[in-house]
Amino acid sequence: MNQSLRNLLKEWFAKAKHYLRAIWLENLKEWKIELTYKPDFIRGLIDPLVYALPYLLYGIALVGGRTSENLNRLVGTNDLITFVTLGYIFVGFLNMALWAMGFALRKEQHWGTLEAVFAAPVPRWVFALGMALHSTLHQGLMIFLQIIVINLIFKLTIHPQGILPSLVVIGLMLIALYGFGLMIASLTLILKQGWLVSEALSGIMMIITPIAYPLSVLPVFMQKAALFLPTTYGVMTVRHFLIGEQMGFSLWTSFLRLVILGIFWVGVGMLIFEIIDRRTRRSGTIAHY
Amino acid sequence: MGYAIEVNNVIKKFKRGSGLKKREIVAVNNATFEINEGEIFGLLGPNGAGKTTLVRCIATLLIPDSGTIKIMGKDVLKYPLFCRRQIGLLTSGERTLYWKLSAKDNLKFFAALYGLDKKETEKRIDYLMELLGLKEVQNERVEKYSSGMKQKVSLARALIHDPKVLLLDEPTLGLDPQFARFLRDFIKNVLNRQERKTILLTTHYMDEADELCSRIAFINQGRIVDCKTPEEYKRDLPHSEVLEIKTTLITNAKELEENLSKIPTIEKVNITTQNTITHFKIILPRAEQVLSDVISEVQKYAKILAIDVNEPTLEDVFIYITGRRLTEDTKEELELE
Repeated sequence: MNQSLRNLLKEWFAKAKHYLRAIWLENLKEWKIELTYKPDFIRGLIDPLVYALPYLLYGIALVGGRTSENLNRLVGTNDLITFVTLGYIFVGFLNMALWAMGFALRKEQHWGTLEAVFAAPVPRWVFALGMALHSTLHQGLMIFLQIIVINLIFKLTIHPQGILPSLVVIGLMLIALYGFGLMIASLTLILKQGWLVSEALSGIMMIITPIAYPLSVLPVFMQKAALFLPTTYGVMTVRHFLIGEQMGFSLWTSFLRLVILGIFWVGVGMLIFEIIDRRTRRSGTIAHY
Repeated sequence: MGYAIEVNNVIKKFKRGSGLKKREIVAVNNATFEINEGEIFGLLGPNGAGKTTLVRCIATLLIPDSGTIKIMGKDVLKYPLFCRRQIGLLTSGERTLYWKLSAKDNLKFFAALYGLDKKETEKRIDYLMELLGLKEVQNERVEKYSSGMKQKVSLARALIHDPKVLLLDEPTLGLDPQFARFLRDFIKNVLNRQERKTILLTTHYMDEADELCSRIAFINQGRIVDCKTPEEYKRDLPHSEVLEIKTTLITNAKELEENLSKIPTIEKVNITTQNTITHFKIILPRAEQVLSDVISEVQKYAKILAIDVNEPTLEDVFIYITGRRLTEDTKEELELE
């Protein structure tokens, strides 16, 4: 190995170490700040449970038990409770991208620290990945607690061998969702009421993503729109692995589309982030709150 | 020794308002200057003169409309990461730290952003906390600190990566006099003399600029109007004295200003009114030559409370050059800050 290549590799490793440490410390900083608001933190952990339980109880009341023959006919499994609980996990991931990650920069603006952070020698995407890591871990903790409690109440039945491939699917889906998070995060820098965008997007995505119902019950145009969302493939493939949902497309198709959507949404997110970053640096509104 | 900062023909405009009321404000107008390595360079001008805008352009937080800026020889737009690594930025205002974190946790986070590893981070934090007298309270949340202590932590943050260049934007603004004194001594003796850092200091306090800076650029309405050493500025006033008059019950300030300007040998008249008190600063070669004429003219329009003749200060030089005081500001300009 010649000297210049060795130097190049050394430089690359030093840079990677720098960026990884910055991502980790950004995540730690968020945890530390969050834990100073203890009641809020606890409320955040309970929230998903409070929102999911009515869905489940409503389902039981309607079908007269935890199994549904109609569901079985539509997707090949009759366990309504596990079907909805698994679907509801994905609401958490949507919230992660559209709210937690999406509003991270707005929070920095509010605290007055955004300029200090943006004056540091790291690309903006490093900071964005730090936000993403924290949001994912936070959401992961909430989802874990949600599943534990619902399992204690309803005894969920899943195929344990499907857990590992499900985590891979969730990982792929998260990449695409980070693209959404980046997009929202940058929009909050120029829109005073950025929450409206999150509100609208999360509303639409929660309806179109087959969370508490099979994809086939949606009107045809909605089914077509759902095929552009990573959460559709995420929820259906995970349920396929864990409870045998019939998806209407192959596993190969699902993985391929998740990869394509990941590349597409991260590309869109980064492009919009870059454009808005340049725009705020031109207009001088980067620190305006 | 080369230049640490080079600013060439920088123009920065902002659009303000909306619809028909939309207008363009020139915040920085063709600014050009160089700062030598190891120098303390002052940007002196009233609020809203364009100082902060210029600092933000240098710190890569704003993109100029035209012109170039170089840090240690590299263009800030082409090499933003390199340039940011060379710079430590300290802005005025308390809300530039995470108040819910301790000083130490704040510094740890920023050290990571600047690429310091764990060992270097601990070493730098220990050094800076000791140097700034924050060792005892470094684990307390920033929200519990006084304004002065918060500014010390902000300074530690700007210094965490041991930058070659420091951008200090109104560092003593809003601080009590005792802490402002500490900070000035620290900038001069520790940061510049001991650590040989290049410092760009923006201020509208003339004493601060006079005391700290080896060279000062006067900035007014976005333009660099002059750039010299403090001694050169004072020397260049043509044998001037400053006649200061404090009055009350003034009837027509504008007319009085015009009449005073007509008195032979008077070079500049500046009037400011605060509440019911009006201050006159009259720059002229020898006050005693025209003192009786000035007094009789002023008495026609106001009641004189006090008269004083002084050596010119940097503020007087600023008035001589721009016709404005450093403490003046305009509504439109303030929108930019």
